[in-house]
Amino acid sequence: MAVLIQSILSGVLIGGVYALTGIGLTLIFGVMRVINFAQGELVMVGMYGTFFLFSLLGVDPFLSVVVTMPAMFLLGAVLQRSLINRVLDALPQNQILLTIGMGLVLSNVAMLAFTSDYRILSTSYSSSSVPLGPIRLSTPLIYCFLITVVITAALYWFLVKTDVGHAVRATAQDRDAAQLMGVNVRNMGVLAFGLGSALAGAAGALVAPTYYIYPQVGGAFTLKAFVVVVLGGMGSIIGATLGGVLIGVAESVSGTYFGSGWKDVCVYVIFLLVLLLKPAGLLGKSRM
Amino acid sequence: MKRTFVISVVAAALLALVPLFIQSPYALHIFILFFIVVALGESWNILGGFAGQYSVGHSAWYGIGAYGAFILLQQKNVAPWFGVWVGVAVAVIVALAVGWITFRLRGPYFVLASIAVAEIIRLLALNWKDLTNGAEGILASDLPPLKLGGTMITDWNSKTPYFYMGLLMAVFCIAVNYVVKGSKLGYYLQAIREDQDAAHSLGIPLTLYKNAALGISAACTALAGSFAAFYVGFIEPQGVFGIDVSIQMVLTCIIGGIGTVSGPIFGALVLVVLTEMLRASLAQAHLLVYGVLVVVVILVMPEGIVGFASQRLRRRKAAAA
Repeated sequence: MAVLIQSILSGVLIGGVYALTGIGLTLIFGVMRVINFAQGELVMVGMYGTFFLFSLLGVDPFLSVVVTMPAMFLLGAVLQRSLINRVLDALPQNQILLTIGMGLVLSNVAMLAFTSDYRILSTSYSSSSVPLGPIRLSTPLIYCFLITVVITAALYWFLVKTDVGHAVRATAQDRDAAQLMGVNVRNMGVLAFGLGSALAGAAGALVAPTYYIYPQVGGAFTLKAFVVVVLGGMGSIIGATLGGVLIGVAESVSGTYFGSGWKDVCVYVIFLLVLLLKPAGLLGKSRM
Repeated sequence: MKRTFVISVVAAALLALVPLFIQSPYALHIFILFFIVVALGESWNILGGFAGQYSVGHSAWYGIGAYGAFILLQQKNVAPWFGVWVGVAVAVIVALAVGWITFRLRGPYFVLASIAVAEIIRLLALNWKDLTNGAEGILASDLPPLKLGGTMITDWNSKTPYFYMGLLMAVFCIAVNYVVKGSKLGYYLQAIREDQDAAHSLGIPLTLYKNAALGISAACTALAGSFAAFYVGFIEPQGVFGIDVSIQMVLTCIIGGIGTVSGPIFGALVLVVLTEMLRASLAQAHLLVYGVLVVVVILVMPEGIVGFASQRLRRRKAAAA
């Protein structure tokens, strides 16, 4: 029983990070109807940023979120303005290919700059854990989860309480109507992509202490982000939050009981089942 | 059409003469790579180009074909040119099963499902160690000599036999595209690509014809994939089932011109030449070329080289008239 609770709790903790990448993806999709296949590569950029902030300047990986998020916001805004903006009216397939290309460029530039070596960011608390009765939870994962909760809450507040947040949600609900109401939908696209990238960057910073850092690490995060978003419902932010935690738990529990080699198989099988049985996701409106 | 047919036959015949004049293994290697990329691009084109179903999981069929032939060679000592057909058959069966389930999905959802399927199959290959040898992969060090009625044809010790096999493979895949495009099946597929709902309301059974395209596409991919794997002589899950393999197939068609028979040939030419030119300076990061190319092509000429050229040609004709 303790093993089950242990793996469920670990799953919830790591699920927070999947939720962050998923929320970024779903925000971009909601506002622009573009599926960003480079989401995981943005996580990778965030990981490298955090790694170098730590190894060169000694910035704690969890503090570095304060730097990586604005920097990644800028990167995202530039990518949107220079590339994504031009294909907003193109075929969905071409949009997907463009973002796949962006991802390839990011990961291969990282390989040129940093080689394909695996890097490890080890802090003084990297391998420590907090005892909780018969259960032990890893300290970096707890920090990671707490910061995730703060970021997600801040994002909700921004989207629900501020005028700009209202404009973002209006654009996601109905682009034309939002435009008629005086919302600058082009700027909303830049904002959404910037926010999506910032969330990916935050996720990268938060997992940097617990993951290997290498140029192709993004692929796995991209796929997880899709699973999370499809599970929760495309375009639904609450759905993505829920989806992230569910996928984290599914992965952790199946890893415990079937062996770590099979945990991703379980995740993808769940993904296919959701696509086939409830393609709108748990909380999404059908957009098929 | 007749003229293009004559040009193609002459081009293939000229290519067949190449090994008589060029002995440099490196030059032959480039030709073989080119044939492989053409064959794979043409294979993807049947489903992605004609039917408009953008699969980014075609590495699944590539890998199943390759693993089928490699496992039979290693464990049962079956010669590749027989084993390959088992690989192709397995790939087609799995593809049809997957297609039956995933073809109800559209657009981005289909793309995502195709990636997930390839990823599941990659993880199976990684974890099913008794059959696939897991991450260590399988080595096909020496192939049995190819004999026909007692006479030795080749012992596979030079690049030349691979050159002819590759050429044959590429010509075969181009021919399949040519036949499919002009057939009833081809017209149905193009109708589905242009407007799925309109095609459906005209009474075209969508899933059936998409599956027909997938079956043919998967068979060609498995065939070309196992040839490519034997040329390299080694397979492991990431190398054959990785998303790079699928992306390369998509790119070949995007660059050349999606849904055209000649597109993948031009796409392969650009890809192979650029990759080889930059291989030394980029080393492991050779996929950078793919990334930059796809971004540029989508932004500058989304119709690909063939689409771009024919548009120019039409405009010039219109200007002259």
